[in-house]
Parts: sequence; structure tokens; C-alpha cells
Amino acid sequence: MSTTPRNRLGELERAVLEHLWTEGPSHPEGLTVREVHDVVGVQRDLAYTTLMTVLDRMAKKGLVTRERDGRAWRYTAAASRDELTSETMRHALGELAGTERRSALLHFLDESTPEEIDELRAALAALEARQAPGSTPRGRHRRQKVT
Amino acid sequence: MYILPLALLAMALAWPVPRLMAGFTSFRRAPRAALVVWQATAVAAVLAALFTAPAAVPFIVRQQSRITEHLGLVALAGVVSGLVLARLLVAGHRVGRNLRVVRKRHRELVDVLASHDDRHLRVLEHPTPTAYCLPGLSRRVVLSQGTLDRLPAEELEAVLAHERAHLAARHDLILEFFTVVHEAVPPFVRSETALREVHLLIEVLADRAAVRDVGPMPTARAIVDMAGGGASPAGSMAMGSTPSAAKVRIGLLEPARIWGLPVPIASALMYVFAGLLVAMPVTLLSMAFAGFLVT
Repeated sequence: MSTTPRNRLGELERAVLEHLWTEGPSHPEGLTVREVHDVVGVQRDLAYTTLMTVLDRMAKKGLVTRERDGRAWRYTAAASRDELTSETMRHALGELAGTERRSALLHFLDESTPEEIDELRAALAALEARQAPGSTPRGRHRRQKVT
Repeated sequence: MYILPLALLAMALAWPVPRLMAGFTSFRRAPRAALVVWQATAVAAVLAALFTAPAAVPFIVRQQSRITEHLGLVALAGVVSGLVLARLLVAGHRVGRNLRVVRKRHRELVDVLASHDDRHLRVLEHPTPTAYCLPGLSRRVVLSQGTLDRLPAEELEAVLAHERAHLAARHDLILEFFTVVHEAVPPFVRSETALREVHLLIEVLADRAAVRDVGPMPTARAIVDMAGGGASPAGSMAMGSTPSAAKVRIGLLEPARIWGLPVPIASALMYVFAGLLVAMPVTLLSMAFAGFLVT
């Protein structure tokens, strides 16, 4: 469970965005801080001003966009969930090349090479043969001589 | 007169040595020692370049009358040291800032998209298998749903152990150091091969952690499964002629000798070599000043 304040804030931003995503189709003009607070804030027992600050931060991060409506702001999600997910994946898969981008994230596998998969399977089989008990390199050598 | 040896040392360590060392593939069997040797090479090259100008100081002071004779050489030393220092500071600042901007933006996206069941682990709803970590103070390990669907539990454990090793040992700082040095030197000196070798060594080191956790076979299978599933990224550095990192890593999962020597002995020799590398520029500068103080 997330307990640090920083993590709770991240979780709250996520809840706010989820709410904007679900309400988006029925409220194309966006939601006010009050409307977001009535659902997300009340559930979590948070002050109105907390939601105001969170939405303001999210606008600065470019996660939500806002438009003035009289004296209040109306907030909408800046991108759909799918759009954000593909942006993240594009970012993660390193399409934005460059030395620094490559070292920004440390991947389990930097370059995925599906065309090489047969070679990799062969390397795996060779390792398995060496790892299997009773088939030390000497043992394998002997067997080769017999056949 | 220690300006010339220092300048030559800087040049040798910046250009031919990294290209030569990238060819010593046996080094990969002792990844930690190999990384130390690589770092020592970079540090020694930087020190040698920085020391050329200070080495000229005793020379100037002692032979005041004839300084004009060697003005060219002394000026060159000053320019080299100054340039190296300036370029390092600029590159360090730029690389550091860019890395932090990219990581921050990515962390914001990941945090808002993925559930927070675990403090550091995030799962992205995407079918393409991918696994990586975001280093830094608020670190994250990120897996895609595609990875969770594709890998059995044991292989998943290998991937997580690998990423946790990156984060725990702060491999990002090693990489950042080499990226800074790489960017600081003029393009004709840069060696992509050397940078890629360092990258590979870091992966081999993280693989060792996975092998300790789950053994070589699940780790090898995880590498193969991750390699087969992903879409090849546009900026991929896969080269047809050289074996890919994945294949090399599978070959390095079990212990083996280095040049016929047991790994601990080879590692010890490599550490000594690394020490000698850094000692060279330091010794040359001390000799320049020692001669000055004695006379």
C-alpha cells in the first residue's frame, strides 16, 4: 500500500484523471473543481482547496486543460487514456532516439530483435544442455565420439 | 617538461584505448571489474587533459626568460585544459538536466496511468512486452501488461530482480558519467562502440543479480521471451554483423574463465590496471612539480 505523501498525491492525480475520463463524454465542456471535489474529494475526505491545488498542478503538467467559465475553471483531460498510454510506450520504446534518452530509462532489453529469435533459441538450448545435470562439457564430448 | 607526455596520454586514452578495450570481449565475464577499468580510463583521460596546463606552470616560472621559445606549446596546453574543463561542465549540466526532464515527464505519465498497488512498481495497460526502470530519487519499475501476460512467474522474477539491481546499484549514475564524457569530447573522438560496451556491461551486471535470484535458465528464457515479443523500435541500434546484446547476455549467464584465469584473479589484475591508469596522469603532474620544488 502507498503511504508516503508523494505517493498519495500521485494516486489522487490518477483518481482525478479517471474521473475526468469517465465524465468526459457526458460533460464535453469540462468539470469545475467543485464537481470533481463532490465525487473524488468527498470520497477521500479531502478539502476543496486540496482538489483545487491538485487540478492546478495537473494543468501545469499538461495532463488536463482548463477554460474559464465565469469565475470558475472548467477542467477536461488533455488526452484520452489510450493516447497517454501510447505516448508513454513510444517514450519507453525509445523512438525518440539520442544518447540521453537511451540512458533516461534502463530497459530489461534495450533492442528487441524478433528476426533474431531463432539464434536466441539456439543459444538458450545450448545453455540448457550445459546446465542439465550429468551433461558436463566432458560428458557431451564423449557422447559425440560414440555417435 | 611534462606537458607533452600528459597531452599524449590524454589523446591515447581518449581515442585508441577505448576502441581497443571494446574488443576485449573476455572482460565481460567480470563486468564489475570491467566497468571499473572503463571508468578509470575515462577519469585518467580527463585528468591528463586537465593537468596539461598546470604542468606548464613550473616550466614557465623556472625558465621565465625563454618562455617565448615555447609559447606555442604552453598556449596549446592552456587551451586544451580550459576547453576540456568547459566542455565537461557544459555537457554535465546539459546531460543531467535533460535526463531529469525526460525521467520526470515519464514518471508523471506512468504514475497517472498505472495503479499504485506497490510503492515502486507500475503496470502499463499495453500489449507490447516491455520492462524498464526509472532511476532517481522517486524510482519506478515499469512493466507492460504484455510482459505480465507473456512471462511465467519465474521469468517475471528474473526481470524484476534485473531492474531492482539497476536501481539499487545506481547504474544510471555510471551511465550518466559515461554519457557526459561522451558528449564532452569532440565528435571525432567519441566511440559509440565504447558507450555500447559500457551499456552491455551494466546489463550483464544486472543479469547476475537475476541469476542469483532465480538461476540462469529462467533468466535466459526471460531474455529470449522479451526479445521475441516486442516491436522493434525505430531508433534501434541492432546491427546485422555484430551479435545482439541479447545473445551475448545469454552466453554470459554462467561463470567462465577469463584468458584461462579464474575470474577473481583476472578481476584483481583488472583492478590493478585501473589503479595504474588513474595513477599515470597524477604521477606525471607530481613529477612536473617535484622537479620544480627541488631546483
